[in-house]
This record gives sequence, C-alpha cells and structure tokens, in this order.
Amino acid sequence: MERSVAFRLNGEPTELTVATDATLLEVLRDACGLTSVRSTCGIGICGACTVLVDGAPLSACLLLAPLVDGATVETVEGLSGDEGALDPIQQAFVERMGFQCSYCTPGMILGTKALLTENPDPTPAEVAAYLAGNLCRCGSYPQITEAVLLAAARLREAGRAAADPSL
Amino acid sequence: MSIGAAVPMIDARERVTAAIRYVQDLALPGMLHAAVVRSPVAHARVVSVDAGAAREVPGVVAVVAGDDLRAHPDLAPAPTYGPQIKDQPVVALDRVRYVGDIVALVAAETPRAAEEAAALVDVIYDELPAVFDPLSALAPGAPPIHDLRPEEEQDREGTALYFDIRPQFGTNCCNLFRLRHGDVPQRLTQADVVVEETFRTPAIQHVPMEPHVALAAWEGDRLTVHTGTQTPFNVRDMLAALFGLPPEGVRILTHTLGGSYGAKVFPRIEPQAALLARVTGRPVRLALRRDEVFLTLTRHATVITIKLGLKRDGRIVAKEVHASWDTGAYADCGPNVAQKGGFGVVGPYNIPSVAVDSACVYTNLPPAGAFRGYAVTQAAWASESMMDIAADRLGIDPLEFRRRNLLREGDTFATGETLHDVRFESCLDHAAAAIDWDGGAARDFGDGRVRAKGLALVMKGMTSPSRSEARVGVGRDGRVVLASSTVEMGQGARTVLAQLAAQELDVAYDDIRIVDPDTARTPFDNRTTSSRSTFMMGNAVTRAAVGLRQQLIALAAERLEAAPADLEVIGGAVRVAGVPESAVSFGELVRGAHRQEMTETAEFRNEGGLDPDTGQGIASSHWHQGAGAVEVEVDTFTGKVTVLHAHGAVNAGKVVNRHTAALQNVGNLVFGLGSALFEEIVYDGGQATNANLSDYLIPSFMDLPAALTHDLLEKPGADMHGVGEIALPPIPAAIGNAVARAIGTRVRELPLTPERVLRAMATTTRGGNGPGEDDG
Repeated sequence: MERSVAFRLNGEPTELTVATDATLLEVLRDACGLTSVRSTCGIGICGACTVLVDGAPLSACLLLAPLVDGATVETVEGLSGDEGALDPIQQAFVERMGFQCSYCTPGMILGTKALLTENPDPTPAEVAAYLAGNLCRCGSYPQITEAVLLAAARLREAGRAAADPSL
Repeated sequence: MSIGAAVPMIDARERVTAAIRYVQDLALPGMLHAAVVRSPVAHARVVSVDAGAAREVPGVVAVVAGDDLRAHPDLAPAPTYGPQIKDQPVVALDRVRYVGDIVALVAAETPRAAEEAAALVDVIYDELPAVFDPLSALAPGAPPIHDLRPEEEQDREGTALYFDIRPQFGTNCCNLFRLRHGDVPQRLTQADVVVEETFRTPAIQHVPMEPHVALAAWEGDRLTVHTGTQTPFNVRDMLAALFGLPPEGVRILTHTLGGSYGAKVFPRIEPQAALLARVTGRPVRLALRRDEVFLTLTRHATVITIKLGLKRDGRIVAKEVHASWDTGAYADCGPNVAQKGGFGVVGPYNIPSVAVDSACVYTNLPPAGAFRGYAVTQAAWASESMMDIAADRLGIDPLEFRRRNLLREGDTFATGETLHDVRFESCLDHAAAAIDWDGGAARDFGDGRVRAKGLALVMKGMTSPSRSEARVGVGRDGRVVLASSTVEMGQGARTVLAQLAAQELDVAYDDIRIVDPDTARTPFDNRTTSSRSTFMMGNAVTRAAVGLRQQLIALAAERLEAAPADLEVIGGAVRVAGVPESAVSFGELVRGAHRQEMTETAEFRNEGGLDPDTGQGIASSHWHQGAGAVEVEVDTFTGKVTVLHAHGAVNAGKVVNRHTAALQNVGNLVFGLGSALFEEIVYDGGQATNANLSDYLIPSFMDLPAALTHDLLEKPGADMHGVGEIALPPIPAAIGNAVARAIGTRVRELPLTPERVLRAMATTTRGGNGPGEDDG
C-alpha cells in the first residue's frame, strides 16, 4: 500500500509517494537523502533520529511517514543559513565541543532548538530534563549542557537586539 | 600554535551540520541488502537448513548456509576466522554455539525483502547441553564448546598475535595466562593477616550509537569493504586468509565511526558481507539492528578471586589471583584480554610475591572482546575492592594503605620490568584531594540517607609491541596532507594528529587535509585501540612532519642559495630567518621542483611481550595511570545509589588538545557510572532478555552526578599519554568502595543495583559483618 504525502521539509514544499508503513526516518534518509536523521535504537528511546514536526521534537523512527501530511518538518540540514553560516546553536556546539562521535548531535541540536523556543533561559537542570531522551554514549553531556546555555544566552541577546534597534 | 590549547575538532563544522559521512551513510551502485538468520538455541548441531520458502520471497537473490560452503569450498577456502584462534565460522558449518549465532545469510534487493526471507528460513536443530558461566564451563564434565587441538592451537599469521597462548586442551579454557613473581606460599606463611574474596562482573555492551555496518564488493579476485572498524589492517589480513587471497587482494576503507569503544575491533560483520557479495556477484550492504549489536560482541563477564597476605604495618607481601574471563562462544581477542587482565589485576603496587592464573573460558553466550578499559575495569573491580577490604582489616586509612604499597619511579613490577614515568601517587593524591578525602567515614543523616567516599587506582598497559606509520605531504597548492590509518571515532584523532603535523610545519591545523584510513592508500598501523594513537601515531606524524620540513628546507636552501641552518619555516613557507621577503611558499617549492607532491613517511615502534607461562617480560612500553574518587549517597530504604561527585585523575604527560582530552576523561567517567550502577546484559537460558535500549539502560543526562570533575596531569618535558580509557576502570571500584563504607557491608558483584544493595544490607543485619554472600 502506498499513498501520497505532502509536507514542508526544511522550508521546501515536498510531495512523495510512500509505503503506508514507511517510517519518517526511512523516508527522510532513503528518499530525501537527509543523513542527519540517524537510526540507532529503532524504538524511540535514544533521540538520534529526532526531527521537528510542527516545531515539536519527535522520533522519526516511530512516526509513520503518512502522518506528516500537511506538517512542517525540520532537520539539521535546514538549520544553516545562506552561504553556510552556522545556526547559533550549531555554533555553540562547536565552541563548547558538545560532541565526540557526533552521531547524536543532530538530535541534540534539534532538541535544543525546541527547548529554547519553549524556554529561552533554561537552568542546567531544565536542560538535562528536556534532553533526557537524547542519549550520548560518548558521554559529552557536560559540554552539551554548556553549549545549550551558551546558545540560549546568545539567542536572548539577539532577541533583545532585534526588539530594541538602539542596541 | 595549537598544541596544549582547547581548539575545536578539525571536522567540527561537518559534525554539527551533519555533512560528515559515516559508513552508515554510504551506498554502492547496484548493492543488495543483507539479513542474518540467527540461532534461537544456545548450543546445537544444525541438522538442516531449508531456504526454499525464503528463496520464493520477491527480491531475494541468495540464501547462504553452511552446506553451501561445504559444497563450494572455493567460496571461502578457510571459512573460520578470529584474531587469536580461528574458531568463528563465517556462517555455522555444523553447530551453533549461542543464541544469536549466524546460521544463514540472505541477500535481497531491499532490506525488507531480506528480513522477510530471513524469517522464513527453516532450520532444524539437535540441541546439545549448554553452559552459561565460566566456572560451570571449567567444571569437569562441562559440555565442550570447541574441540581445540594442539596442532591448531596457534595462529601465527597476521599482526594481531604477539604473545603465545595456552589453550587447556580437553577443557573450555582457550587460554591460561600465568604470572609468577616471588614465592607466594612462603610469603603467605609470613603474613600477619590473610584475606580472600571473590568478585563478579556481568556481560555489558558497548552500545555505539552507530550500529555496525559493512559494504562489500568484489571485482574479480579483489575484495573491497567499506566498514566501520577500529582495525582496518587486522580486518584486511583476516578477510584475506578467509578467502584465500594475498593481503593486498583486500582493501578496507573506513570513515569516522559513530562510536565504538571496542565494539568494532577485529572482524565483526565484514566476513558475512563479503561472503554474500562473493556469492551474488554484487555489492552487499549488511547493517545490524540494535538487538543484533547486543549479540555481536560484549564485555567479558568475570569471576575473580583474590587472596592477599598482609603485614600489620600495612605492607602487602603476597597476592594470589584466580580469574575467569567469559569469552562466550568464540574466543575473539579473549585470550589477550585474559593476559592483559592477568597483569592488570596485580595493580599499581610493589608486591614481593604474586601468582596469577587468568583463564579465558568459552561459554554458550555471545562472544566477548575488546571493550574500553580492556580487562582493567573488571580487574580493578576485584583488586581495588580488595585494597579497601585489606585496609579495613588492618585498620589503616585506605588512601594511606595504597600509598604504603605504591609502585614508584624505578620500581620493578610483577612482570620483572622496571617502570619509568611513574605517577600513580600524583593521580591518587589529586583524586583524593578533589573529593576532600576524609578517611572514608560514613555520614548518616538519620533519615535513611548515608553518604561516604571511595577511591580506586589503576594501571593499564598499551599494546606492546606495535607499529604506526604516517605519511605527511604537501602538494602543488601548498596544502599539507596527512595520511594515516588511525581511525577517527569521536576521540578527535584527526584533530590531534593534524595539530602535531601543523606544529612542525607551522601551518594552521585546520588547513590540513586528512586522508581517511584505506589499506590500499594509507600506511600501516596496528590498530586504533589501547589508547595508543596519540602517543604512537602522534610520534610517527611528528617524525614524518619533521622529515618533510627538512626536505622543504633543503629545496629552499638551493633556491635561496642559503645554508639550511639559516632558514626557518613559518606560515606555510620557508624563508631566511628574520627576512619575510625571502619567503618561498610550500606550493612554490613543490612546483619549482617539478613535483606533484613531496611526501615523507615515518614510523614509530614500541617493543615488548610476556612469557605466557610466567608473565615475565615487558607488559607495556608505556603505562596508562589513573585514579578515581567518588562521593555517594545511599538511600538505605530503597538501596538506590546516587553518585554525588565523581572525579578522574589521569596521567596525560603532555596534552595536545585540551578539549578532546577533557572529553575523553568526562566520557570515561560517564561510562564508568553506567558500568557501576546499572549496565548488565541479562541472559535467560542463554537468551539476552534486554537487548534493546528500553531495557538496557545507558547513562543519560539524568544520571550525571552533581559534580563531574577531572585532572589531566601534565609534567614539563613528559611524553604525550593516551587518555582514551584510563579514567573509566577506577570508577566502578571507587563507587563500590564508597557504597561499602556507606552501608557497612560490601556488594561483590556489579552492577550496584538497588536490589543488590538491599540484599547485602539484609545479609549484614542477619549475619553481622562477616564475609558477604555473592548475590545474584
């Protein structure tokens, strides 16, 4: 069984024919070539396949592709700006070295994006609680926390600057 | 320059944008997808494999089982492999030896077709008695799992084997390593106190985030495999032997790994992918599911008994150890693990008499092999727990007890080798200071919570002998290129090696182009294991870069008509010292010499080796040294252990990159917490019951201690020291020691689950402070 699914992927209107039992992970990796979406546990525990669906961080391995019909889907490939400028969250991960093997990093970055949208000024404990579903076997958690806090500070600063042109 | 600084990884940008490529992201034109048929029984003769229904599935191209290898011996002329004993068949030939053993292989046009067909392969088994723990496997009458014979006891091919192994023929022991130093029985008679205890650790899994994946393709008699491996040259040599090819007939390529920690050491799934590609004549991709990763390699479960002879003044005079390493159904590198654990269990102490029997034992469980810490975590769980037990029996502060017995500069270790660059005391003192060591007193809050602190100290060898080669070059564009077979797996090897080359050539480290390991193009390296790359490959890179610098200076000397001694290398150019306008860029020098590139290859070696019957010789040319210290809180109502503070203090000698070195320490501490508190593969009748990330927990953000701190101990003029593993092994033992002080009794088996802690406390309440029972 196949059906057509139309969604907005990293800003671009996308229409695909997918198997009704295909996961979003399979479709994003195999049909769309987005290798930031990574299969690790296959059961929605580890967060390595996290994508933002209408802004919410979800495990693409558990989400059937037809269910994103009409939705907005974001992956890390959509984060960098024109001419490859890094998103402030990506930049913070580089500066604080919030990764080792980096297999979990796209999921961590998207989880961070969702967190900072909900809570622009999180405490370290709030960071830990929000990202508890993103596993990093290399154990870079302290550096990831620092990266999240740095990104949060910069985004708040940018927000203030945008709100007050005199700054 | 960047040496010693905290600079980002050379590929940091690719990592945060996901532009970086893992083997998982590769595809080959026309490739098939593989699935594995695995045994549901722990030990059986394979009576028949019926693939009729499987072959009917649309898209299936081939199903391969043991009968096919017997009917077509040319497919795989030597169909078993292994780094130390060739005991593992590429697919079961006549027997399966564990739940998960490979009994047939399927290749199909899609992963779904392959999986569907694999489920339809009908295998009839004639079950045999099975055994699931090493002591039962060593008992008289235990079912034999392999029939090792003297004529096949040693495999001298390849580079993996550098020590003799001693299988105990007619038993399930595939290697008995013995270490003998001094006269233990005589010293025991002189001891004032003798203590003896037994400790256990379970099988655990590495859980790399990127599951194993390999893509194999044949062109005539040449095999190419793209695979996530820490050991490209070992895999090359073993595949060549398996398929009857010269080593150059096999090419292994790899990219950055999504974690490994030992999981991707030696052949794991490459033989199976290559066999299917040979049978089908098409490229084949074999990618494991998470549950299959659990069945592919584990960390050795252990049972270790230690007897210590002590003098009242706090000196250890004798140490006797019996260790059993459960290597599962196939030896893999277990014989070597038993050796490394066999001297590692002695610990960093000067003990006048030592006797160790360290046995690597087959059982009907998934194979065990390399795992970050390589035997020392299990050895330290026993030996460092024992240090605290001994200190308590003598009424001496465990920190002071360790100090009285420490190996110091110039001391002779139990192997007979003299140790240099010894920094155990510094590691221990830094660790103790970090947690404000208080003698180990328990603090009872009166509300069920009790806090206490614990320490542990370890030594770990580095593969000896071994060899690393590096090639550093510069092309017509002046860009420096670094080619080595060191595998990047998140430890930052690309970055650190680039920094070392950059240092000698005075270029920016992140301008250097790194060539990924490719056995056809990058020079030889033993393997990326044993925390050896920064030291071994780092020195090879430095030598190659120095040689290239000399070549460039010689060329510039001709061109500038200057004496080489008057020239300097600055910013990617050579110039007369202090005369910027004389500068000639590297690119101009290469072009001026009418060359495509200039390269320099250099190697770095270390030496060593132990006698397998006495354990005498050189265990390691270079010792990893580290201490762990923790403070824990035990909830005595629930048995739950919370680590409040964990600290690792390691000898780093000279740090190359403060970011990546710190990440290694932190990562090791987090790994240690999982191993200490909850990681365990639970088997039922040989079946792994928790082979998924829902039931097998690894540390998350929520498991971190409030304080997670570390020291990278440096010393002016010191060598670089690998820090990839050394902060891990002391952590479970330090936590165990702290918990024992908190609850007044000792849990002797990892992990320290609430159930085990409560049971130990109940035993104490009933039976006083006697020897605790091993709990299950």
